[in-house]
Amino acid sequence: MDSSTRKKWDFSAVFYDLMAWGPERRWAPRKRELFSSMHGKVLFVAVGTGQDIPFFPPGRDITGIDISPRMLAKARERAARYSGSLELREMDIHALEFADQSFDQVVTSCTFCSVPDPVAGLVALRRVLKPGGELSMFEHTGSRVFPFNLMLDVMTPIWKPIGPEMNRDTVTNVKKAGFEIRQVDNVYLDVVKIIIATSPE
Amino acid sequence: MMERRCYFLAGDVLSNAVMGAAAAWLAAALVDLSWSMSVGMFAGMLAGMGTGLLLIPVFVGLFGAMEVMLPVMLTAMLSGMVFGMVCAMQTPALPVLLIGGGTIGILVLLLTYAVNAVLHGKAS
Repeated sequence: MDSSTRKKWDFSAVFYDLMAWGPERRWAPRKRELFSSMHGKVLFVAVGTGQDIPFFPPGRDITGIDISPRMLAKARERAARYSGSLELREMDIHALEFADQSFDQVVTSCTFCSVPDPVAGLVALRRVLKPGGELSMFEHTGSRVFPFNLMLDVMTPIWKPIGPEMNRDTVTNVKKAGFEIRQVDNVYLDVVKIIIATSPE
Repeated sequence: MMERRCYFLAGDVLSNAVMGAAAAWLAAALVDLSWSMSVGMFAGMLAGMGTGLLLIPVFVGLFGAMEVMLPVMLTAMLSGMVFGMVCAMQTPALPVLLIGGGTIGILVLLLTYAVNAVLHGKAS
């Protein structure tokens, strides 16, 4: 277990809901749309305090993981109100305790801005995803457009100690991990993106 | 889809206008006629960034993450730069600082809306 990452998110759990109030409401329509495609056995990575749980469609079979026990303690209150099967487990994405090809779909939401080794994390997700299974991501990434790329590069070292990195090339990381990209939609600028990829057959 | 909800549109305008005005005011409090224009501009930019780092968490919590953070930080830097440079040449009155800084904020916001309109949607 990566203790420094766990410590960072345990600390952030104190004020996370306060900071996420605006972003979650702003992104709600796009997240609901993305999550409506949840099917089969679903792994939801980095469930955090469970801010995304109200956007899950009812009646699905979902396993949510997070590295932070303090985040999960808050998520459990929201999970209790979900009308479907939702199991929450404390787990590091770099050491997933699931058998190979356990899930039909993996869903992430603002996850790969924070995973310490994003390509290794994505490779781990490919292992637990069935061949042909779908990876659905709602992520913020770096930008290729000036001056936003510069702003994100400047802000990353400032925010990193308590939160995410803001200049990651997640689409390239998904390709590096061996997924086949099916679709990339820009939600805001070329920074907030919906990425749909599949694990090769 | 482009943002159409009044709460978030009003939040965008408010956060950029307030940030622009605050950065201009802080730059004016820091830089005076004894400074050279280039040093004043650089100091104003740093002051703007500092103001941005203080205010951004409040605006983000209320109105959104990247949609707020990026234009507001750009506003803070630009407003600080412009008024750092101006204050090395003259002493603007408070209303000029507030209205000028607020206007820079609105212009930056419109720029980001325009860029977003070009980029949003299917990328690949």
